[in-house]
This record gives sequence, C-alpha cells and structure tokens, in this order.
Amino acid sequence: MHLFLTYTILGLVTGAVYGIAASGLVLTYTTSGIFNFAQGAMAMLAAFTYWQLRYGWNWPAPLALFAVIAVLAPLLGGVLYVGIMRGLRETADVTKIVVTIGIMLGLIALAQWIWNPGVPRTDNLFFGEAAKFKLLGVYVTDHEAIALGCAVLIAVGIRLLFTSTRTGVAMRAVVDNPALLQLNGGRPGRLAAFSWALGGALAAVAGILITPISGGTLDVHVLTLLVLDSIAAAMFGRLRSIWRTFGGGLVLGLAGTYVLGYFPSSWSWASDFRIALPMIVLFVVLIVLPQDRLRGATLLRTRERFTVPTMRTAVTWGLILLVVVLLLEQIMGANDMGALTIGITYGIIALSLTLLTGYAGEINLAPVSFGAIATIIVFHLGLSGTGLAQRITPWGLLIGVAVTALVGGLIALPALRLRGLYLALATLAFGVFVSDMILADIAPHVLPIFHLHFSIFDEGTLQIPPLKLGPVDLSSTKTFLTTSVCVFILVGIGLIALRRSNYGRRLTAMKDSPAAAATLGQNVVKLKLSVFMLSAAIAGLGGVLLSAASASVTANTYIIFISLALVMLTVVGGIGSVAGALMGGILAGTAFTALTSTFTNLSTDHGGGGIWNTLANLSLVAPALVGISLGRNPSGAVPQIVASYRPLWNVKSVLALGVVAEAVAYVLVLTKVMGNWWFVLATVAVAVAVPALGRVVRPDAFRTGAVTAPPAPGRPAAQSVAVGSAAAVEGVADARS
Amino acid sequence: MPVLEVSDVSMAFGGAQVLSDVSLSVAAGGVTGLIGPNGVGKTTLFNIVSGLLEPKTGRVRIDGHDVTRAGPASRARRGLARTYQRLELFTSLSVRDNIRVAGEIRNSWSRRGRINVSAETERTIELVGLGDVAEREVSELPTGRARVVEVARALMTQPKVLLLDEPASGQTEQETEAFGRLLGQLVDERGLAICLVEHDVGLVMGTCALIHVLDYGEIIASGTPDEVRSDPVVVNAYLGTP
Repeated sequence: MHLFLTYTILGLVTGAVYGIAASGLVLTYTTSGIFNFAQGAMAMLAAFTYWQLRYGWNWPAPLALFAVIAVLAPLLGGVLYVGIMRGLRETADVTKIVVTIGIMLGLIALAQWIWNPGVPRTDNLFFGEAAKFKLLGVYVTDHEAIALGCAVLIAVGIRLLFTSTRTGVAMRAVVDNPALLQLNGGRPGRLAAFSWALGGALAAVAGILITPISGGTLDVHVLTLLVLDSIAAAMFGRLRSIWRTFGGGLVLGLAGTYVLGYFPSSWSWASDFRIALPMIVLFVVLIVLPQDRLRGATLLRTRERFTVPTMRTAVTWGLILLVVVLLLEQIMGANDMGALTIGITYGIIALSLTLLTGYAGEINLAPVSFGAIATIIVFHLGLSGTGLAQRITPWGLLIGVAVTALVGGLIALPALRLRGLYLALATLAFGVFVSDMILADIAPHVLPIFHLHFSIFDEGTLQIPPLKLGPVDLSSTKTFLTTSVCVFILVGIGLIALRRSNYGRRLTAMKDSPAAAATLGQNVVKLKLSVFMLSAAIAGLGGVLLSAASASVTANTYIIFISLALVMLTVVGGIGSVAGALMGGILAGTAFTALTSTFTNLSTDHGGGGIWNTLANLSLVAPALVGISLGRNPSGAVPQIVASYRPLWNVKSVLALGVVAEAVAYVLVLTKVMGNWWFVLATVAVAVAVPALGRVVRPDAFRTGAVTAPPAPGRPAAQSVAVGSAAAVEGVADARS
Repeated sequence: MPVLEVSDVSMAFGGAQVLSDVSLSVAAGGVTGLIGPNGVGKTTLFNIVSGLLEPKTGRVRIDGHDVTRAGPASRARRGLARTYQRLELFTSLSVRDNIRVAGEIRNSWSRRGRINVSAETERTIELVGLGDVAEREVSELPTGRARVVEVARALMTQPKVLLLDEPASGQTEQETEAFGRLLGQLVDERGLAICLVEHDVGLVMGTCALIHVLDYGEIIASGTPDEVRSDPVVVNAYLGTP
C-alpha cells in the first residue's frame, strides 16, 4: 500500500506536468489553428535558461522564475506567432507542421550552441531534497506539491479564462471563424499572439517543473521528447477540452509509474516500454477518438503549387543528374563520395514523402523509422558471407522492403481514418516507438519452444555490409554512389510515371477533395492503404541503402529528429517534385553535415578561430532557419529556382556562357589547379550569375512571366518580397498548362 | 419505382433540429426540384443521401436497395452522383483531368463493363460545352462554369440518379438557359433521375416535373410547378408575392 501510494503520487506529479504542457498546446492550437510541435523545445529552452539564471549566474529563484516564466517565455511565444505563424494562413497542413518542426529543430540547435552538451548540468528540486512532508504515510517533496498546485491553478485558470472573460470567449470564437470575429470587432491576430505568449509561459512552467523530477539532468533531446509526450494528453481532450487534457495527463503519468513499479524487473523491455508508453497511448487515443466524417477541402485553394513534368523532361533530367554525378566522381575523394552517397540515400527516403505527401496529401513524420525497420529485417535475414566478404543479397533487400511495406500497411490501417495533423501525429508516435522500443532492444532474448537466441538491435550497433546485386558489388565507394544515384533516378522517374497515370490522378483527386472522390465511388481507405504501403517500401529501400552507406548504424541513426529534419528539408526543397526530394536528401544528409564539419575542422586547425566555430554552429541552426522561412514560399525552393531559370531559354548566349564557365572550372579541378571547395564556390557563383546576367542582357524575357502572373488573392501584404517570385512561379505554371 | 427514395429522415446538429421526418422520392426520366430558403437543410439532406452524413433516423434507398448504413463510395457504385454547392473540384488537375479521373475511378469499381475513358471524357466535355476551357486549371474558371465541371465529372460515373446542389448559382443568364436545356437532354436521352436544389426560380419551374418545398427542416409542399407556385404556404415561406 505504501509503495502504491508512492507511485501514485509520483504519477500524479508527472501527469500534472504533462497536463500543463498539453494545455499550452491546446491553447495555441484552438486560437491559431497551428499545432505547435516546438512546445517541447520551448520547455527545454526555458529549463536551460532557468538553469543559467539560477545556477549559472546565481540569481535568486523567484527572480529567475519570474524572468523565465513571465518575461522571456511569453516573449518567445509572442514573437514566434507574430514573426512566423501569422504568415501561414492558407497553407496546407504539411506546411504548418513543418514550420513548427523547423522551430523545434532550431531551438534544439540553439540550445546546443549556447550550452555545450559536453558539460553536465543539473537542476535541483525547489527547496531541495530535504523539504518534504508526510502525507498518508509517504513523503511528498515540496517541489512535487508545487507541481500539483500549479496544475490545479492552471487548469482552473484556463477554464475561467475561456468561460468567464471576454478575451477567453473571443479566443474560442477565433477557431470557428476568424473573419466573422473580426467583423464583430474582435482581433483574431492579437488573440492568437496572446495565446502563443501564454503557451510559451505554460511550456516554461512545464519544463522547469519536470527537469528536477526526472532526475535533474538537463539534456536537450531528452527534455524535448519528454514534453513532446504531453501531446498524448492533449489528444485526450481532442485539442479542445482543458479538463480532459489534464485528465489525460494524469492517466499518462500514473500509467508510466505503475509500469515502472509493477512490471517484473526480469522483463528486459519493461523500462523501454515505460519510455515508449506515452507514444503508444498517443497512437491508441488517436485511433479510438471519434473522427470527423469525410470532409471536403476546407480551403478553395492553398498557396502551394506543383507542376508535373512530362516523361521526356523527367528522363532528360534523370540522365543529366547521372552525368553530373559521374563527372563529379572523377574529382571527388572517397570521403566526399561517401558523404554524397548518404545524401542521395536520404533523397530516396525523401521520395517516399513525394509520393505520400506531395501526391496523396497524407503526412508521415517518421520516414527514417521505416528505413530502420527494413535495415533490421535485412540484417537478420538478408546477409550472406562473413567478415569483409559479407554482403546484402538482392533477396534480402527485397524481403526487407516487402516487410517494411507490410509494417507500413499495419500502421496505416488503423490510422487511415485520420487526416492531416492526426495522421502526422500517429506516424510521429510510431517513429518514437521504433526508437524507444525496437531500436532500444539490445539485450538478447530466447524465443520459447525454438530456443532461438536473438536480439533485435544487437548491443546497440549493427554492422551493415554493402549490397551485392548480381555482378554489381557496392563495396567500392564509387560504385555505391553511382548505384544509389541510379536507384534514385529510377524511383523518381517511376513516381512521375505513377503521378501521370490513372492511379496518380486518383491520388490527386483524393488529396484535393476526399469527399468528392468518395462520392464518385473511390474507396478512399483502399487507395490510402496502397499509397502508404508503397511509400513505406520506398522509405525501406532508401533506408537499407542509407544503413549500408553508413556501414555502422546505431539507434541514433534513425532518431525521430533525423526524420523530422528530412521531412522539413524535403518540404523546403518542394514536396511535390522529385527534384525537391533530391534537394531535401542532400541538404539533410550531405550539405549541412559537410558545412558543420568543415567549419569545425577550420576552427581546430586554425586554433582559436572563434568565427569558424560560430559558423559551424550557425550551419547547425541553418536547416531550421530554412524550414521556418517556408511560410513565405510554401511550394518549396525547386519550383522557385525553375522559375528563375526558365526565361533563360530565350537567352541562349548567357546559358551557353554559364555552361562554359562551369566546364572551365571543372577542368581546372580535374587538372588539380583548383581545389574542390573553390569548385563549389565557383558553381554557386555561376548558378547565381547566370539568371542575373540574363536579366541584364534580356530584361524583356524575364518580364513576361511577371506580366501574365495573376494577382495572388488573400496573400498577406507583409510578404510582398516573396510574392513577386512566387507569383512568377504561378505565372509560368499557368502559362504552361 | 423511384430510383431514389428518402423516407422519414431526421437530423440534428447538437441541439439544433435540421431535418424532421423528410420523405421524398426521385423518379427516373425527370427532374425533381427541392427548393426552400437558405439554411433549411437542403445541402444537409444531400449529404445524408450521398453518405457524407449519417441521419439520426430514417432510410435512404437507391434502386430499391437500402443504403442507409453504406458509405459514400458504395452509394456511388449503386448509381448515385452529385455536385456540391461549395465547390469540391480537384484543384490540382486541369478541367479535362477533373472529368477524366472520374471515369477512371468509375472503371476501377464498375462491374458493368468498362468505359473508354478518353472517348467518354471528350464526349462529356462536348455535351456540357466545356471544350474551350478543357486545358485550363479549374481554379481559373468563373464559378458558373466550374459548377458545370462538377456536373460533367458526376456524369462520368454513368449514374442513374444525379443530385445537383445549386448548379446555376454564379452562371450568367445565357449559361443558365443552356444548362436547363442540358438537364432536359439528360433526362430525355439517358433517362436520368435528377434532384435539383436551386434558387433560380425560372430554371426550377422550367425543368422540374415535381417540386418539393423544404422549410425549417420539413417538407411543406409537394407538387407540379403550377401547384407549388400557387400554394399560399410556399408563397409565404419562400417565393414571396410576385
């Protein structure tokens, strides 16, 4: 009984903190329609800031608390809304999701920049360990009592705000119809900013309270994920009810401690299960939730635009890509080729998103986790030979990909009724579950009856040998690179063919209006299931290649943040196009890693080069900045680049000059006159100079696009800078169709 | 026997009663009108008939089969098609592909033999008169013509019964006249059963054989155009005195 009470109180306290964090999520979602994936990262940042003030600079606790909870955190929330979220109206679900993911990754990178992760930091309980009192025979620390008190106060406070104050009632009105509220004299923008400030404060309270309870060690990723768990609580309340959100938080907290307390310690997976529990609960709650019936498009048209290339264009660009990579192989060292291979394999995983999100409008936030599943299958079933001669067999690859498709189907089947954000959350839950339970399963098991010894992720590291496809042995870096590029091209062209087929049009129809597709007789569930399985298979294929290219993989290879970064950068590149997937993959797998390591090397080589260190850190934050900027150009970078180059067809002389300049640079590198980095710089210079030169030589060729561009309806005026180019994209797209 | 039969359908959203015991039937080879002021539940009834909403009580039968519990897709397979008052076009596709994909969806489920989608698409574009804009993106079209795309799309499934939700709103006078002729043609040549929700009184009176008047969730009158026009209840609730 005594033990039970101890666990109950611990569970209630954890649950209370979940409730506080989740209520912030509910608040911001109901007033702005944006689900804040960065809530966990905001809580983490607040916990770090509090540590800095309280222990780093020895401020008194009340002052530090006031500064963080009442000043800095609300400021961050408000600034995020005003600076970024406001620009996300009329964008697709995936754009909104990706932008807050960008903020999350940005805050994580920022925290690692400011607070070197190598230095251990701990937060203590309020009033210390000794401050405790006895309740029903068990000790309760003052800190725990404070956490419970805060939760009660916040729950009652929000409830009162919503029901008894003018601001609160207006906040509820914002959700349903911001335009109508505005007509009635309300200010939806100001209310949303207020709710984001409040959300920031709630995140801070949660972050500061939970850190000492969960051991006191400040860890960027652990803290972010800990608060991310509170999403499950928010889902209990269907992102609406504050009471049920807090109730959900308590259920989560209690379930976690009871599992910890009462599962036999001989079950090696019990502690993993406890960590994964909130995500399992999230998945179940999402499935069990009563769902909205099929709805039509909520917007007449979102701002995203994608054009589908013809097969001839697709094949031409495929060949160009192959030639470029073959030429690059002549001048690259083995390390560079290895890095590029990683980028290309990420690109193949990103193609699974092009199909699923770009074509079918469904969201998967854990593509890399599917790659992990395929890798595990291949590792256990698809290898032949031993030692250095060990290879992945084609059959092994096939089985891995097939099993991944089946797993994708199993995940999708219950989640099929979910749409947009809810499906995204279900895949997020799956991804974290894979990391927490499957990849963490490093202890050996014995299969009963068969007495077979096995462990899913043996001792935490798997050595993945290269693939051997008949006569093609990928043990050479160059062959591996060429082969992955060929796989990318084939899958990419296949996707474009698919999009142009009857199946692809049906996917597009389902994406644009599920209701209309269904009333035309389309079995939406079957179609979704098939596309989800196909997408999982592609992610599995890319994942196996990624693992083989990395040679040695750990659970960190597939951590959810990698998936999130890949999703974000793919959307940045352009989720609707194959080239966008390539860009996303290379940015995620190669470019930013290369930049960071280059700057880090420079700073160690040149000693005390603070500027290089800063640049290295900046390049860690950079992907997030890119993601956050997405609101300005939701169609992605590739369509924009295409639009800026298209008029050059009429200025062939400039185009030819550019090709010649690039060829000269290439020859200089080939003859070792120039280094590789200079080649990169020269390429960037040519890429920028060519359209600029074209504009100077033939201004008229560039103007036509702008003239035919239709006025963009409903675009906030603040975005006029980006509108010019985005409108040009539309103009070109419209002229072509 | 009527192709579409709605019996005693009731519906409430939260506490608000939207439909109470509505019954109506739509026969083959004719246009049945459903008129009434805004917000009386016409679109809700269409959503119930097409399976997007589940009624609180009542039955929906298509071709004699009870489909009350069936999903939207299986109702389409029984021969039901519809258009939407709030346009539900496939905005990423061109006008032609919007129509084409409907035929492709139809071929994916039909057991009654496949249609030649390309030929049927061109025939339908020709029939409804969208030839001049077939290559355009649907979002560029004015509302009136976009509604015609929805009609063409619905026709591609080779339906037996067609629900039209305010198809003429946003159309010019000439377009409405042409649309009326198209409805007549569909009824006479294909024997289609059409249920028309429309505020253009001229179009309704000119095309419908039978008209139901809905007010506050109840059918307050049914009859021929002449009977309805002279019904004092209808004049009071909807038409107004001329």
